[in-house]
Amino acid sequence: MRNYLYGIVETLQTMFTGLGITWKHMVRIRKGNVTLQYPEEKWPRPERNIGFDFSNYNVIRARLHQNIDDCIGCLKCARACPVDCITIETVKVPKGTDLGTTSNDTKKRLLVKRFDIDMSECMFCNLCTYPCPESCIFMTGGPNSEKHVLDYEFSEYDRDNLIYKFATVTPEEIERLTTQPQVDLVPAEDQNKTNGDAING
Amino acid sequence: MNGLFDSGFMLIVLLSIAGLAIFGLMAVIALVGVYIERKVSAFMQDRVGPMGQGAGLHAGKWGLLQTVADTVKLLMKEDIIPKAADRKLFIIAPYIIFIAAFIAMAALPFNQVLIAINLNIGVFYILAVSSLGVIGLILAGWASDNKWSLYGGMRSAAQIISYEIPAALSIVSVIMITGTLSMQGIIQSQSGTILGFIPNWIIFNNPFSFIAFFVFFIAGVAETNRTPFDIPEAESELVAGFHTEYSGMRWAFFFLSEYANMFIVSGIAVTVFLGGWLSPISGLMDSAGWGLFWFLSKIAVLIFIMMWFRWTFPRLRVDQLMNVSWKYLLPIALFNIFGVGLWMLLLG
Repeated sequence: MRNYLYGIVETLQTMFTGLGITWKHMVRIRKGNVTLQYPEEKWPRPERNIGFDFSNYNVIRARLHQNIDDCIGCLKCARACPVDCITIETVKVPKGTDLGTTSNDTKKRLLVKRFDIDMSECMFCNLCTYPCPESCIFMTGGPNSEKHVLDYEFSEYDRDNLIYKFATVTPEEIERLTTQPQVDLVPAEDQNKTNGDAING
Repeated sequence: MNGLFDSGFMLIVLLSIAGLAIFGLMAVIALVGVYIERKVSAFMQDRVGPMGQGAGLHAGKWGLLQTVADTVKLLMKEDIIPKAADRKLFIIAPYIIFIAAFIAMAALPFNQVLIAINLNIGVFYILAVSSLGVIGLILAGWASDNKWSLYGGMRSAAQIISYEIPAALSIVSVIMITGTLSMQGIIQSQSGTILGFIPNWIIFNNPFSFIAFFVFFIAGVAETNRTPFDIPEAESELVAGFHTEYSGMRWAFFFLSEYANMFIVSGIAVTVFLGGWLSPISGLMDSAGWGLFWFLSKIAVLIFIMMWFRWTFPRLRVDQLMNVSWKYLLPIALFNIFGVGLWMLLLG
């Protein structure tokens, strides 16, 4: 009988202790809570100190970015890409057309008509950035954070929006730059190929 | 024209209006109840609960449209009936549970005049029909042809039968004081004050009825299958218990009746122990409109306490559940009847 009554008292005591805890949490709404309303509120990004100097090696590969003003259209990055996520199309311009220079003072000779990076295919291997003679393709973040903001949130409603189009040249501009008298538009490589085919036939 | 009013036609029209009103009320209770429950649970766990912010059509300010969106989703969901299920029973089970909650609500007195049927055996009627729901639970469990559902159905039958007894016995001790079974009669007998300031509600009438309220409330929480007494639908053991195989609108009926049952149990507790639509301060704000307000706000407090329980206590094991009912609540309820009798004899 003593145990029975003691059990009831103990039950009530522990019940009220538990209820008190949940009540305390409920009245302190939004003080201790950890949920953030994500797109509006964000956690601060931590300082990226991983224990060694990472100025040479970019450990933070947030997104592949390309600076079209410095691109000379050499296609080295597209060839280095193991998954072929970079598509570049260039147009030859007539001799004497001034396309400007890059920040390394290299004269631009080809007009980059199309520079697409399919970020849904990119595997963040960073291999395309090494061959680039102008250092214009890079992963955002890390040592490149002064070149471009670190953007790591690129969810899209449509998968096609993951193809980033960097080329800024307009069709009218291509028209204007290429209508001047010129020898031919087909790259020399391709012309040899057609010639060869003709001989074989 | 007189003949038309005297005939059964008018009665049918009036009852249909009352039925529609009760159905609407049940839907509103579920809508508001789910929203409040999600918010209360979130705040108790240091979360924010349903929220809508930013551009586009989200769940509205503070997630107010969340339950509306849930309802639309449930309405559009595919209605799946398992191949091995007993088709007829499977279809009929949610409606039986829903009807049990629906007809119990008919005898709840919302204020001085707002009561669908003022029965002279109101409490008895509500206790009787609200336990009809257990048939639906067993049918749902059996018809699903699923071991989890069957376990859930059997457990809920055992649970409701066990907890009906202490609940009914604590109401018996109240009826000894009021001397009437009519819901309105019980409320009217609670008007006035004790010592000039304490409202003359049954809960304050004597120490035994004070205990009886808690016995009834605990048993009521158990009867509505809510945590900590939710073994019929224990997620971690039985997936979802008796409604494992249900989806879409049929599942929504289970949900609707769960919240309606919470409302009914709180409604009985308010009517029988807490003075129903009577104002806490005697003579102040006691018109019919305020009566509805007091009734609903008292129920809201009790429903909040049920939610508070749910997000505080862990689930009881089956044997613990039976222990609580048969070894603790039942003896206490019996002792209460004896105590109330003694109190009435010596002081009444």
